[in-house]
Amino acid sequence: MTLLDSDPTLSAETPPADAAPARRRPRLSLGRFTGVVVALLAVCVYLALTQPVFLSWGNITNIVASNSVILLLALGATFVIIGGGFDLSSASALSATGMVLGLALQAGMPAWVAIASPILAGLVIGLVQGVLISYVKISMIVVTLGFMSILASFALIVNKGATISVYGAPGFDPVYQFVNGTVGPVPVLMIFDAVVLLAAAFVLRYTAFGRSLFAMGSNPEAARLNGINTAMMVLFVFLIAGLAAGLAGLVSVGRLTGAAAASDPTLLMTAIAAVLIGGTAFTGGEGGVLGTMIGVLFLGVIQNGMTLSEIPAFWQGTVNGAILILAVGIGVLRDRGIRLRRRAITTRVG
Amino acid sequence: MTDSTAPFIRLTGISKSFPGVRALDDVSLDIRAGEVHSLTGENGSGKSTLAKIVNGTHQPDAGTVEIDGVPTVITKPSTALALGIVSISQELTLAPTLSVAENIFIGRMPRTRWGTVDWDRCVREAQAILDDLRVHVNPRTAVRDLSLELQQEIEIARAISTNARLLILDEATSSLSEAATDRLLEIVEEQRDRGVGVLMISHRMPELYRSCSVASVLRDGRLMGTVPLPQTPEDALVRLMVGRDLDDYFGSRDVTPEAVALKVTDLHTLDGALLPTSFEVRRGEILGVAGLVGSGKAELGMALGGAIPSAGTIEVGGREAAITNPRQAVDSGIGYVPDDRKGQAILPNRSVAENFALAWRGTLSRLGVLRVREEATLVRDGMRRYGVVAANENVRISTLSGGNQQKVVLGRTFARGCTVFVLSEPTRGIDVGSKSQVYALLQEQVAAGAAVVLISSELPEILGLADRVLVFHRGGVHAEFDAEGLDEETVAAVAVSGRPQTAAA
Repeated sequence: MTLLDSDPTLSAETPPADAAPARRRPRLSLGRFTGVVVALLAVCVYLALTQPVFLSWGNITNIVASNSVILLLALGATFVIIGGGFDLSSASALSATGMVLGLALQAGMPAWVAIASPILAGLVIGLVQGVLISYVKISMIVVTLGFMSILASFALIVNKGATISVYGAPGFDPVYQFVNGTVGPVPVLMIFDAVVLLAAAFVLRYTAFGRSLFAMGSNPEAARLNGINTAMMVLFVFLIAGLAAGLAGLVSVGRLTGAAAASDPTLLMTAIAAVLIGGTAFTGGEGGVLGTMIGVLFLGVIQNGMTLSEIPAFWQGTVNGAILILAVGIGVLRDRGIRLRRRAITTRVG
Repeated sequence: MTDSTAPFIRLTGISKSFPGVRALDDVSLDIRAGEVHSLTGENGSGKSTLAKIVNGTHQPDAGTVEIDGVPTVITKPSTALALGIVSISQELTLAPTLSVAENIFIGRMPRTRWGTVDWDRCVREAQAILDDLRVHVNPRTAVRDLSLELQQEIEIARAISTNARLLILDEATSSLSEAATDRLLEIVEEQRDRGVGVLMISHRMPELYRSCSVASVLRDGRLMGTVPLPQTPEDALVRLMVGRDLDDYFGSRDVTPEAVALKVTDLHTLDGALLPTSFEVRRGEILGVAGLVGSGKAELGMALGGAIPSAGTIEVGGREAAITNPRQAVDSGIGYVPDDRKGQAILPNRSVAENFALAWRGTLSRLGVLRVREEATLVRDGMRRYGVVAANENVRISTLSGGNQQKVVLGRTFARGCTVFVLSEPTRGIDVGSKSQVYALLQEQVAAGAAVVLISSELPEILGLADRVLVFHRGGVHAEFDAEGLDEETVAAVAVSGRPQTAAA
């Protein structure tokens, strides 16, 4: 089993209850992702044929770079959703941490302080939310909805609603190098994304924390009765979400060469859509970051394709929404289809 | 038998397959009006599948269904409802936030002539139905404010108010106390006398012998026979169910209780559900805990398992254990198995392996990184050792039968290497064969020196396994018996009244 392999329980298609153990079906290597991956490839083939520029290295790195912010937010959301929760504040947290970085750079702080500042801010945001949810015991929807509003407002307040341009700020060069630099032909950001993705996959699959997270998302009471400290787990999950938002803030400022005061409301929806398209269940306890990566890529490629094909950006929301419903719907139909097909087989044999 | 009445429903040659398993194989069955027909057999024998064919959830692959002598195809649940076939299962289907009256008339609320809901009539008619069943609740009460048992009665009230002709009770009593079961059976018998046919799925013997006139036994999807009740003796019925004698149903152990493993002094909860309770359990001993639902016996388990806050002292192996959360219970060597398997024990959408591996949560890792290979070996060993039957360890636990799920839950608790096990309703909702296996596992643990607190609503199980029995009534222990020579009546008398039977003395 490779590190990035899908969640085994998602793809294990096995006969129900006490059936003959002899009939073990070979596993589809892509499991539940098959539909999305096939669709992604189909779109890529179509774009490759109609838009020659699509397959160029420049365009590919552009897709990766322009979707890094979404990827980071979506990875944070994957942890939260697997744990059985949700976080409405992530896009606002991104704006807030971006503004923190912007202020730090504007104030002429050294690069390492500036780079640390959004990450630290993200962790603080996660910590406060986690404590309110786990220990003050305010409901998750209330806390994250409240923070969505507060953090968006914070981003506007700190610079009176104006974007902070950091171009030419003394500490900005390392940030810029990080976001736009390359190692040979490979963008630093692409390497960074891969490392974060691998780390997240490792944590989910091979650590006690990851295992406990799935357990909590699947059945919080069972997790608790087996000695998992669920309050602490929720706190950790929000620290991870905060960290993800901080990193996203860093990347965002690097790409825009400025910190935008107004938060983009579509970011949250796109990130969550990517998580769900990637097969993570909204009900918690199943899913993974490989799926999330595929979800992000899928939405990213579609957007790229639309830009290349000169389709007005207004259509983006329609397309994203339709893809979300289709992807999750096809997953449902596919599960049902397998059941129907197997029934047909057994009827013939029996 | 010469039949005086034609059957309400006649099933002929019903077969049904699911992927990899033949659930029903050529089953024929008649259910008459005014008769309680028991359908029994081990879990996985096809009882529920048959019930679901009758109520339209599943379609048979072969065979015919006749209703009042007319061949009928029941394609969906609403067709069955229209024909007067109503099912009640242990899973409640009430809307918790709606009132009792709304739940009774859900989907068919009485209307005024303006087309709006006629609330007065709704409440009035609900009241009439409740009065008829002698269920004393206000129809305006929200269902979630009622006890589980009352909710079950509301469910029945709804079923009956639709003018049911066939009532299917699919393990409807499995989560009820004896008193509530009694009430339910009374209602069922009343409906029977009014001419309703009843198909009762249950493996509780006393219920079968009390209410049913016929029992059909399924094994591996085949009908093993339809026998009259109560003429057929219990052992003959069990033999039909499992295909062998259950000489040694509860098993036995050869061990003399030694040192005190668990000493509880004045343990109580702050809400008064559990009054100060003191007792000891030795290694190699099973302490049975009996009592009605709400008697505090379940809370005793939860308090020992750290699931609810409690006060008092708990000593495990002579060392005082401060148990304020489940983790401390686990760390101090108490293995607790809660009574609600689905709600509190299993991770439904995770694999059997991950469910089992909860046993070693935290300990089988190095610097937070799981030792995956070691874990996989231990899981496979555990599944073999505790007799878990599954296609492989990666299937979702929810695809297993209740008995196998429970073996995973018990197995992972045993695998923790605790000395004290607190098991709350360890055989709830599992079939006879699995029960027997669970008993054997339990005996094995005790023989190896474990101390067990066995909390159960099933008296035969307590009497068959325990060395001593505590009887709870209204939050506290009202009697302690030596299990040797103890009979059910003696225990039941204390459980119901709080006092030992005077006549039996």
